Amino acid sequence: MTLLAVSNLTKRYRRGNKTIAAVDDVSFHIDPGETLALAGPSGSGKSTIARLALRLIEPDDGRIDFEGGDFLALSGAALRARRARLQMVFQDPLAAFNPRATVARVLDDPLRIHGIASRGERPRRIAALLERVGLTADLAPRAIHEISGGQRQRVAIARAIATKPSLIVLDEAVSALDVSVRGEILELLLDLQRQEKIAYLFISHDLGVIRSVAHRVILLDAGRIAENGDARTVIDAPQSAIGKALVAAAPRLNRTGP
Amino acid sequence: MTALALIRNLTVTYRRDGSEVAALRSVSLDIEAGERLAIIGESGSGKSTLALAIAGLLPGSAKIGGRIDWFLSSLGAKAPPSVLPDISPSRGEIGSFAVGSSPATLVIGEGGNKGAISPLEGEMSGRTEGGLIECRSQKSASKQSHIPRLGRDIGFVFQDPSASLDPVMTIGKQIAEVARTHLGLTWSQSYARAKGLLERVRLPDPDSALRAFPHQLSGGQKQRVAIAAAIAAGPKLLIADEATSALDTIVQAEIVALIRRLVTEDGMTLLFISHDIALAAELAERIAVFRHGQLVELGMTAQIVGAPAQPYTRALLDAHIGLDTRPLLNRARLRA
Ligand SMILES: Nc1ncnc2c1ncn2[C@@H]1O[C@H](COP(=O)(O)OP(=O)(O)OP(=O)(O)O)[C@@H](O)[C@H]1O
Ligand SMILES: [Mg+2]
Repeated sequence: MTLLAVSNLTKRYRRGNKTIAAVDDVSFHIDPGETLALAGPSGSGKSTIARLALRLIEPDDGRIDFEGGDFLALSGAALRARRARLQMVFQDPLAAFNPRATVARVLDDPLRIHGIASRGERPRRIAALLERVGLTADLAPRAIHEISGGQRQRVAIARAIATKPSLIVLDEAVSALDVSVRGEILELLLDLQRQEKIAYLFISHDLGVIRSVAHRVILLDAGRIAENGDARTVIDAPQSAIGKALVAAAPRLNRTGP
Repeated sequence: MTALALIRNLTVTYRRDGSEVAALRSVSLDIEAGERLAIIGESGSGKSTLALAIAGLLPGSAKIGGRIDWFLSSLGAKAPPSVLPDISPSRGEIGSFAVGSSPATLVIGEGGNKGAISPLEGEMSGRTEGGLIECRSQKSASKQSHIPRLGRDIGFVFQDPSASLDPVMTIGKQIAEVARTHLGLTWSQSYARAKGLLERVRLPDPDSALRAFPHQLSGGQKQRVAIAAAIAAGPKLLIADEATSALDTIVQAEIVALIRRLVTEDGMTLLFISHDIALAAELAERIAVFRHGQLVELGMTAQIVGAPAQPYTRALLDAHIGLDTRPLLNRARLRA
């Protein structure tokens, strides 16, 4: 069964007196437990697709089916309920949360809003979530701005999985992390995917990372799909002009020694 | 090799909420004239603090120990000497070298440019004089040396090109002003030089770009302009602090190629600061690895990358995920 099916999605923006198609007739699908990566140059439409899929913005054209239903037709309580199954993690968790909020507060919100746990039960659930993402429960009273970038991204992931989603949109979620922390976060994401069968829409400018963790990849160019297929097949031998340019531009580390 | 600068026991301490944070601990490092040297490390390793210390841009509240000895004049400058009196680098100097001199740009680092310049928020309000490093000029037999001046002797390119450009000043004026201030040229000579620089950084249509404002350019084009401004007075040392980190991969590769070409053509020394070891290795002849404010390892690029002496360097290399790295996905599958 397909988890997310996007058909002929189009989003236009006005710039001055011109109209540009940020996303231009894009179709793709994601299966349960699968990672689909989006790559492409800056401005190619990756984040716009993410925002459309999350219904943070509405498309001009096209259709989105999520968990077997017309996602764009939902509103009110039905939309809210369905949203619990579709979560997000962005590049900068500090921007996503109130920096003065505590870790506990950040995790309490989704549990309360989606009615997942009673007030009395929530502290236990928060502790369990923190442990699930490799943190300890004593982090709960700390403010978001007091913890490290890696810890913050783990909290963002904990918050995303609090509502037991089937799909998480990750927009450059590991791009700002130190390489040592990045590896751990990627391991955590893969582990969650295996255990809970979560699917990811994984947006990154880093083809090395995509090749490492994604099942399939879509290469975007100016809002259109330039190429798509198995992540390693596409990245190891890109066919499109943009794919070749992206691969050629990726820095290479030659470890053969002096 | 001739040294451009000898850094000895450089220690920089920031004060934050009453406590002191050592950003650099007794760092000793030689910068060779004409070399491409990369400084790499993770967040908080002190790389930007080192760049700011070398450029004389540390906030006045920073406590500085150690010394930097410069060997500038013995190198045969390509740029004509300044006709202006040498003044000590101050906050205003930031404005005059690459950002124009409107009051808005003088507070760079206090608001819009967090992290890029100001290692700690709210630390930049003091004047720089208190934070000046003890700088000693070495007098060589014939030529007189001097303390480096930002803009004239050192060009600085920041991560965020928007933050280093004045939004209300034309591109042409921002570059021309650097040339005028440091080379003593007339405005028309300065504009001619600015146009030449825009051609050198391969900005399309330099004539109309001279009259354009920063917001009319893409991120990559803005960074080209920032580089043009940084090299406008023919500095000996170009410092690029994460100058390509905000750009997409394709534009990043173009800017790296541009920096390489410019430093080669002008015989500049390059200090390339990056968190990306692969990128650093593509550009630099030597790599210095920093961690927790200390210099962990320094060596030729091939040695650092191919035969690192320190476990930390090896850990950084192992954490790199390249196009030939075994996918985590496969490893996870094997373990599952
Ligand atoms: N709210 C908006 N108003 C006008 N134009 C927009 C808006 N959001 C995005 N765009 C335009 O849509 C196009 C796609 O932008 P998008 O942010 O999706 O790119 P991206 O692939 O995520 O880029 P990056 O790698 O820089 O994050 C760009 O041309 C952008 O300028
Ligand atoms: Mg984006």
